Amino acid sequence: MSYIQIDRVSKSFDERVAINQLSLHIEKSERLVLFGPSGCGKTTVLRLLAGLEVPEQGSIRIDGRVVASAGKNVVPPEKRDLGMVFQDLALWPHMTVQQNLMFGLNARRVQKREAEARVLEMLQRVGLEHRIDAKPYQLSGGEQQRVALARALVSRPSILLMDEPLSSLDDERKRTIASDLLGLQSQFGFTLIYVTHDRSEADMLASRTCQLRDGRVTDASK
Amino acid sequence: MRAMGPVRTESVVLWLCVALVAIAGLAPIAAIAVESFRHNGHFSLNYYRELISAARFWPLLGNSIRLALATTAVCGLIGVPAGILFAKSDLPLRPRFMWLLTVPFVLPPYFVALGWARVVARIGQSASDWLFGFGGCVLVLSSVFLPITLVLTFASSSNVDRRLEEAARLVSGWPGVLRRVTLPLSAPGIAFSLVLVFLLAMGELSVPSFLRYPVLPVLSFTQFTASYDFGAATAAAVPLAAIAFVGVLVESAFLRDRDYRFQSTGQTLFISLRHWKNSLAALVATLCFALVILPLSALFADAFSPAAMDQAIQRAGASVVRSAMYSAVAATILMALGFLLGHAMRGGQQRILNFLTLALFAIPGTVLSIGLVRLWNTPSTWFIYATPALLILGYTAQYCAVTTRLSLAGLILIPISLDEAGRLSGAMWARRLFRISIPLSARTLVCAWLAAYILCLRDVPIALMTAPPGADPLSARILTLMANGAPPMIASLCLIMAIASLIPLAILARVIPSRGMAR
Repeated sequence: MSYIQIDRVSKSFDERVAINQLSLHIEKSERLVLFGPSGCGKTTVLRLLAGLEVPEQGSIRIDGRVVASAGKNVVPPEKRDLGMVFQDLALWPHMTVQQNLMFGLNARRVQKREAEARVLEMLQRVGLEHRIDAKPYQLSGGEQQRVALARALVSRPSILLMDEPLSSLDDERKRTIASDLLGLQSQFGFTLIYVTHDRSEADMLASRTCQLRDGRVTDASK
Repeated sequence: MRAMGPVRTESVVLWLCVALVAIAGLAPIAAIAVESFRHNGHFSLNYYRELISAARFWPLLGNSIRLALATTAVCGLIGVPAGILFAKSDLPLRPRFMWLLTVPFVLPPYFVALGWARVVARIGQSASDWLFGFGGCVLVLSSVFLPITLVLTFASSSNVDRRLEEAARLVSGWPGVLRRVTLPLSAPGIAFSLVLVFLLAMGELSVPSFLRYPVLPVLSFTQFTASYDFGAATAAAVPLAAIAFVGVLVESAFLRDRDYRFQSTGQTLFISLRHWKNSLAALVATLCFALVILPLSALFADAFSPAAMDQAIQRAGASVVRSAMYSAVAATILMALGFLLGHAMRGGQQRILNFLTLALFAIPGTVLSIGLVRLWNTPSTWFIYATPALLILGYTAQYCAVTTRLSLAGLILIPISLDEAGRLSGAMWARRLFRISIPLSARTLVCAWLAAYILCLRDVPIALMTAPPGADPLSARILTLMANGAPPMIASLCLIMAIASLIPLAILARVIPSRGMAR
């Protein structure tokens, strides 16, 4: 049985069908890149996996457990043990880098001393320990990307979802962050599901790519 | 492991908020409706028969509609062009003009009428005859409600994405851009403002009563206070409540599918007025002088004598403190309620909450107050009826639409992904509310509190009809003292009231970012 199983899931917004009877199985520690043109349903797949949308039909299982089935989220997003890097990064502007990372650990009641150590370790891992007290708007675009990545990983999720996080960066920065990401993935072993419309990003990161069109998988390759 | 925990917290809080709105506003309206159909303990249409057959009902209804239509027309004719001018042009002193024109709205409506009465007293009988009638009512109510049209037109047209206007500007001159792009895209906001002006003018009590123009709210009020005839008062109130509900329904139907939301660039496109700049500035300055400066300076002219001020403090000092206290308590409740309702509406439960709160805002204060008294005037609920709690409930019902809409407008600007990121970090609803939404909405909350404070402070009908005996707020106290108080003392009281309202307005002007407005 695959680690993540999406079975015949459909989702519409108003009259528009975003996902149409989509089935997708993803193995543990796999790096899957969902690839396709704008509006093909890539982001919706991530949001369904995260529990931010509810499927109308079909079911989603993570590690053998049904997390969503037709019309309801069985497991809420905060209990799914996953991290997400949003397209707009969604860094909380009123919090410092440290507070951004601490927020999730506090919510999960990790001891303060341990939480601080984990935040520092993660910031060192992404090379931003010197920016610990900065607010997001004081960071460069690349630094913001790395903070978002660190925030998503600091609570050690088993799945990392990334929604076109590199789309606004130049090629050199993209390569640097992609290389960081691969390093982190091999260190922590999380399952990576990455959404992009950029073929070069897919080539850099994927152990498998799936092409989506009109809410369906049209092509999959290793 | 089910998703019930966090959902329950959010739902419980939302339902508590809805319950508060229902207790404060919907239950009193239902009480009125029931009461108006009951005679000697049985279902009866007697009150309606009496009302409809009474010779004065139809003329009063006609007068109310005529007054509301004329006020709406004047506000539309002045407020819409002025709002567009302030939002889209390089007119000098725009922010100052705008805030000046807003002043009459933050004062009790009868202040402007009182000011004009002082002006016409110096002109002569013919001017006085004109003021005390339909024309005077239209003039005063237009001054008072003009800011609604002005500010909402300003906000709607400022929000139009400049790229849409730039695209039109490439193929058309400014008149075409305004007519074909800006105005149609601002139409929902403008239409909403006009419906609001119509409904507020329809339910206005203090101005027609002071200027002796007979309208339906005055009939309802006198039936209630002078005759203490609940049945007749409620029957007279029901048409006003029905008109408010229908008005809000029409507005909702019109706005359906027309609620444009733009990915705003944060900048607006400016029309250069070039050689028209000075003449238009002079025109707007004249408007400000005629509608605001002239009546208010006439009103406050006698206010500064130490004797008058001393007498004012002696006779109404306690009311000043009460007004500030009641308004502050109500504003705090309204801010919290509005924020929570706004939060829920942002989550998608928009239509019904929007309709309910807006209907309560549009319902005349006299109608709401009659309902509140009817509902709570029982031995078992004396602890509410005989205390300021009734007044606070009235304020809460009447003004929760304002804080809800302000909160929603602020919350919409916060990317939803910030909350979603919190959720994925494992934070429950309450933690996300207190650690993400509230800190990011600090400015919105301050605006909502100040707006609610001003509205409660300036309110007349609820203050007049629901305050406990001997504990009336200043707006009601001045109205009572106007019957036999010396004019300089009344002027001093009005000045105190104006200062109490204008300080929060000045803070509001500092807090609200004047986006797109060149200073």
